Amino acid sequence: MAWALSAVLLLCAFTASAAKLPVVEPPRGKVLMVAQPHHDDHTTDYGLAGLVSRFIDAGYKAYYVRGSNDEKDGRHGYPRNDIINLKETYDAIRILRMEEEIVNLNWRNNFESPFPLDELREQLIFLVRKYKPDAVAGHNGWEHYQKNPGHRNLSWMFAEAYWLAGYRNVHPEHFEVGVEPHETYHYFGKARLDWGLGHRPNVAIEMTEDQVKIKEKAIHAHQNVYASPGGARSIKGRLAAKGLYLPDLENISDDTTAGNMMIEWHMNWISRRWGKEADVKYAEDYYYMDEFSHLPGLKKYLAANLEKK
Amino acid sequence: MKRTIAVGFLLILGLWIAPVATAQIGEANNTVLVVTSDASHYVLQAGGTVAKMVEDGMDAIVIRVGNDEKDSWDLSQEETALRAKQESEAAAKILGVKKVISLGYRSSELREVPFSTMRDRLIFYIRVHKPKVMFIPNPYTEHERNHDRHYTGRAAEDAWRAAAFPNYLPATKDTDLKPHLTPALYYYASPVDPHRREAESTETFVPQPKMVDISATLDKKLKAAKALKTINHSLAMRLKKRLDSTDRHLGVLGKVDERSIDKLTEERVRGLSAVAAEGTSYEAAEEFRYAGLEFRIPAMYR
Repeated sequence: MAWALSAVLLLCAFTASAAKLPVVEPPRGKVLMVAQPHHDDHTTDYGLAGLVSRFIDAGYKAYYVRGSNDEKDGRHGYPRNDIINLKETYDAIRILRMEEEIVNLNWRNNFESPFPLDELREQLIFLVRKYKPDAVAGHNGWEHYQKNPGHRNLSWMFAEAYWLAGYRNVHPEHFEVGVEPHETYHYFGKARLDWGLGHRPNVAIEMTEDQVKIKEKAIHAHQNVYASPGGARSIKGRLAAKGLYLPDLENISDDTTAGNMMIEWHMNWISRRWGKEADVKYAEDYYYMDEFSHLPGLKKYLAANLEKK
Repeated sequence: MKRTIAVGFLLILGLWIAPVATAQIGEANNTVLVVTSDASHYVLQAGGTVAKMVEDGMDAIVIRVGNDEKDSWDLSQEETALRAKQESEAAAKILGVKKVISLGYRSSELREVPFSTMRDRLIFYIRVHKPKVMFIPNPYTEHERNHDRHYTGRAAEDAWRAAAFPNYLPATKDTDLKPHLTPALYYYASPVDPHRREAESTETFVPQPKMVDISATLDKKLKAAKALKTINHSLAMRLKKRLDSTDRHLGVLGKVDERSIDKLTEERVRGLSAVAAEGTSYEAAEEFRYAGLEFRIPAMYR
């Protein structure tokens, strides 16, 4: 029995090591559009800040589309949360070096049911036509167990908008203001990697030390939701009860600063964790759809017959 | 303790298969009913299998939910919809389909059609035609970026189930439209989901991956796919635009005309047939998730 179990474990280990994710470079292009429902979705432990940094370092301009007003996220009432979260979005976007021109669609936070989602999709289609992204990134619309309706709904609309924007018969009224059809050909979807089997990444984006630092800083720009002096105090207290302490926090008397340091450690750790999936030091892992993913029947034919001009 | 577990298990099993047991099966016609969101989806993913069933003596009916008005290169929505309807009927005729019923909903907007509206219309047609086999888009396919296929598949799946229950569409209870349970269900999808061949459980609990040999009807499928001229032209032009903008060239699209579009379509159909045939001994195939007699009926009760 023990022998059989060992064999199974060995097989699992072999399968896991055989299935390392391929590391991909940013595709050739100039514009990245990141569309997310919330102020802080650009930087989470499961992605985007690293990808954004990689693309910007490769010469891209990156735009952030924020779908909701974030009124429910934070320690205040609706209006104050709305204002603080907007301000902190700008702070984080600056850290990420994205374009200052954030598009705030301001749909009511996690309250998508009362309006037709095609209205949200229409706005995303317009923005794709306006900014002409070469690549788009956001939540993977096919993620399982995604409990946040904002993540679910915006990503689901974006997964159609980025290619439907190339069709002249889709919202032809847009062409009255000078935009033209534009189809995007590179899609990067992020999702929790520990929530079931819906999101199984197929590529990794490697990050440098500097890009990880940017990720660490961008997340705690959102102090309205991430400042956690209580959390830091509690951890220090629990360690002290066991006669332990963290040397890095030894001279930090301000618990807010200590909390921010812990967020940074977490971002660093998770970047190394996902890097292991691709045998690199730091990475974020994505589900990537390339320019021909929707044409599986032509994949081999195109690979064999495409020529450079 | 063992007895409690056994009783509990039987109770759960009984509740689970009760809908099957209480559904009204009725007489099935020798008919295959295909539900598709758009003109090309079923042709490309199930056309060979449908043609084969027709050759084996079945009647085939296609219900096309969307009007395909968006999928053209340089035509208005109205002109696109008109041509797509005509070409869809021509393609179906090549496959041996007896009739195409076009519901006419606006393509790429099927999300906003109420679920029960679409479902109930499909239930109506299921009861009219009493099929032995149904083909529906697989709504569980991941990374299918055309969401019309998801919404159509979702409504069609429920229509397949609910058509068997007399309390759905009660207004028709005194007509000939009796509840009908279709014995065999094929889910079809574009092979974009890398995990589509993973059986999620056993055949009693979930539809199983199934590959069908279409070598004998591949020619019909090719001709049918080529009949969808407006959609094929749209694809060829989009592909050419993409390649031109990235300084690449595909010989066949040097000049986009009927000949080159047909060639591209042929390569696409042959490529899909090869993808579906992977892991089988077939030269050309189509792949499905299949729910037949085994589905929801444990082996001991079949």
